[in-house]
Amino acid sequence: MAKTKIIIDCKNCISCSICVQACPVSALELSLFGKSGKYPNMFPEVMSDKCIGCGICVKNCPMDCISQTEE
Amino acid sequence: MKYYMGKILIVDLTAGTVSSEEVPQHVFDAVLTGKGLAAWYLYKNIPAGADPLGPDNILGFVSGALTGTGALICGRLAVACKSPLTGGWGDASCGGIFSPAIKQCGYDGIFFKGISEKPVYLYCDNTTAELRDASAYWGMDAVESEIKIREDIKSQKRPCVAVIGTAGENCSLISGIVNEGGRIAARSGVGAVMGSKKLKAVALAGSRPIPCADHEAVKALSKELGTRINKMKFPSGVGGMLGLGGTALGIMPSTPLPGPVTSLIFRHWGTPSNMPLAITSGDGPIKNWSGGPKDAKGMTRAYNPDVIKRMETVKYHCYSCPLGCGGKMKIKGNPFTDYTETHKPEYETIECFGPLLLNGNLDSVVAINEMLSRGGMDSISAGNIVAWAIECYEKGIITKEQTGGLELTWGNAESIVKLVEQMINRTGFGADLTDGVKRASEKYGGKEYAMHVGGQEPGMHDTRNDPQLAVHMVTEPAPGKHTIGMAIQYGAMSLSDICSWAPPARIHGKGRDYIPNEEMAMISKANACYSLLTDSAGGCYYAEMMGVHMWKLVEYLNAALGWNYDGDHYMEIGERIQNIRQLFNIKHGFDPAAVVLPERMKGNPPLSNGPLKGRRLRTEEQVALHWKAFGWDPVTGVPLKETVERLGIPALMEE
Repeated sequence: MAKTKIIIDCKNCISCSICVQACPVSALELSLFGKSGKYPNMFPEVMSDKCIGCGICVKNCPMDCISQTEE
Repeated sequence: MKYYMGKILIVDLTAGTVSSEEVPQHVFDAVLTGKGLAAWYLYKNIPAGADPLGPDNILGFVSGALTGTGALICGRLAVACKSPLTGGWGDASCGGIFSPAIKQCGYDGIFFKGISEKPVYLYCDNTTAELRDASAYWGMDAVESEIKIREDIKSQKRPCVAVIGTAGENCSLISGIVNEGGRIAARSGVGAVMGSKKLKAVALAGSRPIPCADHEAVKALSKELGTRINKMKFPSGVGGMLGLGGTALGIMPSTPLPGPVTSLIFRHWGTPSNMPLAITSGDGPIKNWSGGPKDAKGMTRAYNPDVIKRMETVKYHCYSCPLGCGGKMKIKGNPFTDYTETHKPEYETIECFGPLLLNGNLDSVVAINEMLSRGGMDSISAGNIVAWAIECYEKGIITKEQTGGLELTWGNAESIVKLVEQMINRTGFGADLTDGVKRASEKYGGKEYAMHVGGQEPGMHDTRNDPQLAVHMVTEPAPGKHTIGMAIQYGAMSLSDICSWAPPARIHGKGRDYIPNEEMAMISKANACYSLLTDSAGGCYYAEMMGVHMWKLVEYLNAALGWNYDGDHYMEIGERIQNIRQLFNIKHGFDPAAVVLPERMKGNPPLSNGPLKGRRLRTEEQVALHWKAFGWDPVTGVPLKETVERLGIPALMEE
C-alpha cells in the first residue's frame, strides 16, 4: 500500500469524533492543537506514525471533511 | 441482510465462561437494541425474586441501534439490571465512547450473570473475549483504574474502558459505572450490581465495521444537522442574564420553545446553562425541596454559567456528538481537593450540591464532582441524601454525636465534602447514608424529609413546577428519573408532527396542567414512548430536545435499518419497551401503585415563596389517566392482557 496522507478540513469539521472511534489503530484524537485548534474548537489530529492509510476515517466522516492523498 | 450486529455476549462470572447468543431478527424488529434489547433479555432471564446483589441478577451493557451508523448524537450507552435501590427495573445511561465500542467488538450488547470469586475484568476485541484478573486494580478509583487498565492492555486500538470506583466496590446502592474519567451511568445502583459481581471493568478494543443499510442517506441527514449546528453562535457574556429568563419562564404561560434554541444553549454552556433558569423559574429544587428563590440568594451569581465556562479548558464531545456540551477544567489550587482536573460538573450535580443544600461555594461543588466521578457515585442520589441529613441535623433528628462531629448545617461546604467522602468510602456516618435516603431515614427517622420516589432519589427538576414530570417520576418503571419526559421538553419536540395520536404542544395557561386531564395523559404517554425509542436507538436526551425537524430520528432509523416505517410504527416500539419494563416490575413483585411522591414534592405543604408558591399537585389522579392511556389498569398500573397482546409481547417472550 502506497504511503498516504490524511488531510482534515477543519472548516467543516463538527468535532463529532466518529473518525477517532472508527480508526482501527487509534491514530486520530480530538485535540485543541490541530491546525485551527483553539478553545472551543476541538479537531481531529492525525498521528502519522500510527496511521496505516486504511481510509476508514475518510469513509466514516459524516461531513466529508477528511481526504486522503498519496504522499 | 442484518443491519444490527445480531449477537450478544454472555459472560458467566461464576463459571468464568464467555459465550455468544444470536439475537433473532423479530426481536430486533420489535424492540431495537439499547434499553429495548436489555428489557427483553432481562425480563426473560432474571428469575422472579432474584436478589439484586446475588448471582441471578444480570447486568447488561447495550449499544444503540443507530450507534456507529454515522447518525449524530447516537452514542449513549444503556446499562440495565434489577435495581438494588428500588427492587424493580433498573437502568442508567451515559455518554462517552463506550457504546460504539461494544458494536466494534461484534455485539449489540454484553450481559453478565453470576458472581466471580475474585476481581476480574472482561477484555474483548475482534477475536478475543476473556475474563482477566483485576486484583491489581481493585481498590483504585475509577479514573486511576481506567487509565491503568488501558495502559496495561497495550493494544493498537485504544481500549474503551467502563469501570466501577470505590463506591461500586463497596456495593453502595447509589453507585454507577464510569467511562472517560467522568461520564457515568449513575442511576438505579448499577455500580453496586457490578461490584457485587466482582467485575471491576469492561475493556473493549474491537474495530469491526458497523452495518448500515444506506450509508449515504444517513450521511446526508448528518451533514444537514452538522452544518446547522456548526453555524450556531451565541453572544458571549449573557450567562448572567439567564436568571431573568428563568423569572420570565416562571410567570409566563406554558410556551413551546423552538428545539434548536435548546441545542444552541447546550452547545455554548453545556447543562450548567440551566442553573440560573432553574433557580428563578421554580424548576430547580432548593433547600431539600422546601425553599424558593428567596432562600437561594446569591446562587444565580455563584453558579453563573459564564463563570463555569471560563473554568473550562477544553470541550468534551461524546461519541458522534457535535454539540460538545461537556467540558474539562483545571482545578489546581481548589481548597477542597488535591485533584487537578475534572469534567465540568453537570447541572444535576451543581443543583444538588448548590441550591439544594444552600451551598454557594462553587469550588466545593467542583471538588465533589471529581470525588463522585472517581468514586463512581450518583450525584443526584448523593445530593438528595446530604440534603436530608442536613435537614434532620437542623431539626435535631440527627445529632453531632451521630455524625461523628460533622457540623451538618446548610451551606457548610467543608462538612458536605467530608460527608460525601465518607459515603464513597462507606466509613463513619456516611456508611449509613450510602445506600440511599430511604434506608437512611428508616434507620434515623425523618422520613418526611427523605425525598425519594419508590426508593430512588429524584432528579433536580421540581415536580411542583411541572405536573407532567411528576407523573413520569411516579410511573417510570425505574422511578424518580427526570429524563423520561417534561413539559418543556415536550414543547420543544413537535412529536405531533410524527405521531398521529400525540397532542400538539401549544401555548396555554399553566393552571390547566394542575387539573388532571386526558390530553396531558396522552402527552405523557407520547413523551415516554419517544424517550424509550430514543434510548433503544442510542440517542441523547438533548437530541430529543432539538425536535423532530432537526434531529430526524424516524428518517435516521429508516435509512440506517433499511426500513420505511412511519412515526406511529416507531412510537409503538417505544410503547412496547415501556410495557416490558413495567412487566418486569410486576414479575418481580414491585407494586407500581405503591410508588408515590413524597408529600413535599406534591406541594403539601405548599411553598411560601417564588413561582411555585401555593402550588399543589393531584398526581395520583393524573397517574391513573396516564396508566389508562397506556392500556394499563388505572388502579394497579398492571398492563392489561389486550395491551400486551396488541404489542405482541407474549410471542416475543417465547423461546
